[in-house]
Amino acid sequence: MERKKMTLGLFTGSIDKLTAAGVIISGAVADDYQVDVYVLLQGARVFKKEVGDDATQLPMAENPQLKEEFEASLKELKVKTWLEFFRTAKELSEVKIHVCGLAGKIWGADKLSDFVDIVDDIVGINSYITSAQEADIHLFI
Amino acid sequence: MTSEELKSVTANQIVDARGTACPGPLLAAKKAIGDIESGDIMEVLSSDEGTKHDIPKWCEKMEHEFLGIVEEDSYSRLFLKKA
Repeated sequence: MERKKMTLGLFTGSIDKLTAAGVIISGAVADDYQVDVYVLLQGARVFKKEVGDDATQLPMAENPQLKEEFEASLKELKVKTWLEFFRTAKELSEVKIHVCGLAGKIWGADKLSDFVDIVDDIVGINSYITSAQEADIHLFI
Repeated sequence: MTSEELKSVTANQIVDARGTACPGPLLAAKKAIGDIESGDIMEVLSSDEGTKHDIPKWCEKMEHEFLGIVEEDSYSRLFLKKA
């Protein structure tokens, strides 16, 4: 069976949308999808080593006044952090995480070693466009 | 298989995902399926309502045989045979 492909343009740096992205990727890897994540602008900041899943540094895109309640619910429901979702997905299927070079530079990160260990490489925008063009599913969050 | 028939089935692997929310049970099943052989039976324990839809659909796509569900008081037992 030929492996299907999903491409995710991950613009967000918000904890709620990152969690949603983690859940969606989990569904894709359960189905053995090959997933390519292209980390853009705000997303590049959270993949930096000093941010990651440190919730104190992550805003909430919608209902920001309920962030504390949101985090408490995730914990009670034993939901992984957004970064744990991505890490688990890489263990279960072929998941590559590519950071946009410009986005990294905007946040002062221009070397692979500036990012958390699950980032595979730093790429240009054409890689994203090509991947999206070839994917069975293309999402932008 | 009927619920009564499934109650007498002994699974080769039991995945206890009770207490976790979606996609926890599905991820747990995906992780564990690699540890059993083709034809083996896996039982997934889940207290998440969505799992009762997710696992049968996942089996269909992955070509595993979904055998059925046994409902317990506070959780479900989902049985499948690995392709």
